[in-house]
Amino acid sequence: MKANYLKEILAIRGMGQVISVSVALAVMILVFGVINPSFFSGENTTNLLRQVVPIMIIGIGQSFVMITGGIDLSIGSVAGMSSMISATLMTTRGMDPWLASAITIVACCAVGLINGLLVSITKLPAFIATLGTMIIARGIAQLANGNMNTDGIPASANAFKSFFYYGNTLGLYNPIWIGIVLFVIFAFILGKTRTGRHTYAIGSNYEAAKLSGVNVVVAETRVYVFSAFLAGVVGLMLTAQSGMGTMNAGMMYELNAVAASVIGGVSTMGGQGLLFGTVIGAFIWGVLNNGLQFAGAPLALRNLVIGVVVIISVLIDRIARSGKLELFKKRPAQ
Amino acid sequence: MQEYVLELSGISKSFPGVKALDDVHFNLKAGEVHALLGENGAGKSTLMKIISGIYNRDSGSYRLNGLEIGELTPKKAQELGIAIIHQELNMCTDLTVAENMFLGREMHTRGVVRQTDMNRMAKAMLDKLKIDIDPRTVVKKLPVSKQQMVEIAKALSTNARILIMDEPTSALTEREITELFRIVRDLREQGCAIIYISHRLDELKEITDRVSIFRDGRYVATRDFAETTLDEIISMMVGREIKEKFPHVAVDKGRKILEVSGLSSGMVRDVSFSLYAGEIIGLAGLMGAGRTELVRAIFGADPVESGTITLDGETLSIRHPMDAIRHGIVLGPEDRKKEGLCTELSIRENIGLANLDSVCNRWGVVRSGTEKDLTQRAIRDLRIRTPSEEQTAKNLSGGNQQKVVLGKWLVREAKVVIFDEPTRGIDVASKVEIYTIMNELKAKGIGVLFVSSEMPEVMGMSDRILVMCNGRITGNLISKETTQDEILRCATQYALQ
Repeated sequence: MKANYLKEILAIRGMGQVISVSVALAVMILVFGVINPSFFSGENTTNLLRQVVPIMIIGIGQSFVMITGGIDLSIGSVAGMSSMISATLMTTRGMDPWLASAITIVACCAVGLINGLLVSITKLPAFIATLGTMIIARGIAQLANGNMNTDGIPASANAFKSFFYYGNTLGLYNPIWIGIVLFVIFAFILGKTRTGRHTYAIGSNYEAAKLSGVNVVVAETRVYVFSAFLAGVVGLMLTAQSGMGTMNAGMMYELNAVAASVIGGVSTMGGQGLLFGTVIGAFIWGVLNNGLQFAGAPLALRNLVIGVVVIISVLIDRIARSGKLELFKKRPAQ
Repeated sequence: MQEYVLELSGISKSFPGVKALDDVHFNLKAGEVHALLGENGAGKSTLMKIISGIYNRDSGSYRLNGLEIGELTPKKAQELGIAIIHQELNMCTDLTVAENMFLGREMHTRGVVRQTDMNRMAKAMLDKLKIDIDPRTVVKKLPVSKQQMVEIAKALSTNARILIMDEPTSALTEREITELFRIVRDLREQGCAIIYISHRLDELKEITDRVSIFRDGRYVATRDFAETTLDEIISMMVGREIKEKFPHVAVDKGRKILEVSGLSSGMVRDVSFSLYAGEIIGLAGLMGAGRTELVRAIFGADPVESGTITLDGETLSIRHPMDAIRHGIVLGPEDRKKEGLCTELSIRENIGLANLDSVCNRWGVVRSGTEKDLTQRAIRDLRIRTPSEEQTAKNLSGGNQQKVVLGKWLVREAKVVIFDEPTRGIDVASKVEIYTIMNELKAKGIGVLFVSSEMPEVMGMSDRILVMCNGRITGNLISKETTQDEILRCATQYALQ
């Protein structure tokens, strides 16, 4: 019975890559722990978790988009936009933080909707459409408070700060809970619902999905709204963390999210990927950053290592899939 | 000089879990057209890939012009004069004919290509084959048949002496096939040896000298074509006698289910017809007559410009396949891999995808038990050969893939089932199974509309035949009373005028 259950889990498509990166992650954690035992300290683990959560959340959105065969370059800017809009509403307008958050999320979803419609209806390549909105959203972030970062958000927003960053519940910091809850919800959507099936189907074969009666326009648009929503949440976390809105918040997050997804086995061609893989991918990204920093490596070296890891993990996936390394062999003439 | 240009003996090739070829023999003479026959999975393509160097054999002897050949690569095979024309053409469609013909071996002076020289050489090569194409044309502007001829010319420009053609006629019209056969005969005259793979047995008599038959990775026999019969060939291919190639059943015609009137969409012009319960209509015509466009319009995959579609007396507004499916009109599309299947997904997910409305609960959550039952029912009813419902669609054979495409719909309560080329590229035994499925639908009182380019199939399976030409219906014939000639006359009506 138990063996059957295990077998079923192993049979899930893409589980192979997830398992191998999980093992890699475990090894990494061990190695960093041995190099510097304070890597395991309570302070550092919390730190690490709070670093990883934003990338993980944005990575979940990016994975949804990538599974449909697209890419969302705008989400880093959307997170910045979220940070600036929410903080501006709270400071300059003196708005209630929760109302400000709700308005901010709606604005972020609107950007996602525009992305989605550009891709699904006008058939712009996702790369181009979201490159455009990436620049636009960053522009909005700059416009929000007249090209200045905001002042500190008022004391009335302490509950907001606590909810999104500083507070803790049952011994875990709130951002970690937010990450867990969002992961569970979106993993359920992707794995168990009609929406999830449509996401895989349009990424695997758009025409076949359409001819199977999938509302392809809705299915494709939806993933961009998801990813913008998640980026919006991350933006609120950034505001809570720094206590103000910063125009450059979320810079490069979109590409870090691609890295997390790809390390975790999400295919850039669409149709394949598991959110659990993305979570592990985000952790690999975070552990490398944090661990190398702890081991005393400069930023430049960290970047080098992470770049290499992205390439290697995709290579490993390729080798695992074709069963051999075809370094010097030409691609078969098909 | 030795009799054979190519002698293969005792060739074996295994892939993880499968023995694709087991102790296979094959000989090829200069100046012959040698047909290679077998069902899907018989090992034909594996053998071709070994001959052309894409795969290396595990064991066995490979002799070319009497010389033993060791390890082979595609490049080396090309240098030895072996060329292969794949079923899916291999061209850079944005480049010109001449650029494609000289791809990878451009004529140049210190790195600067000599375009004029290449155009002239390409022209000479095309002229030699009596093919009328301007070498400066961009390939994607040519019809498939001409592209294929360019491939042949390209192969010959590399001095190929052995030409392998994999299902060359599957995308061609009758007239284009005639032209292709003329070229094949010319090549034979010039001493080329041609290996010819096809599922369309009826066309073999036009050009074939000898046939070799394979079954389940084993060599069965080689015959002079003149001394064998199609029946003998078929029975060797399937290993048993197929008594009835088209198991037609008589069902009393029921009520009128579907009525299409004055439908126009794209090239489809003013098409009207009715379909009755328990009736199979075959949609015949040449490639490009608008048959696929017609069924796609009925299904909502392409926009309808004018006309009405009435189902059981109710006029429908179909804008998207979703609408058609909701009303009980379903379509098994023409190209399995491009339109029919998510090949990376499992059988369960593919069948589930078309039935998520019944598989999901009201919150949109997939009930995995229901989905599994549904898939197992489809696997059982359609006799899909697979280890489990979790098998990835791309790992199934062509016939079984086609059954999954059909299975998506057959587990639903459909009123009208449309098949577009349901048997293209699948083996004889699977074809018969698909015919049986069509008959089962018919017996259940479902109206079946199917598009097919294989004349015997249309005549054998349908009760009524609609013939299309240039987007219009040019013939509405009773299958039992018509002849192949009459259908062809209707199909070429406009072309002849």
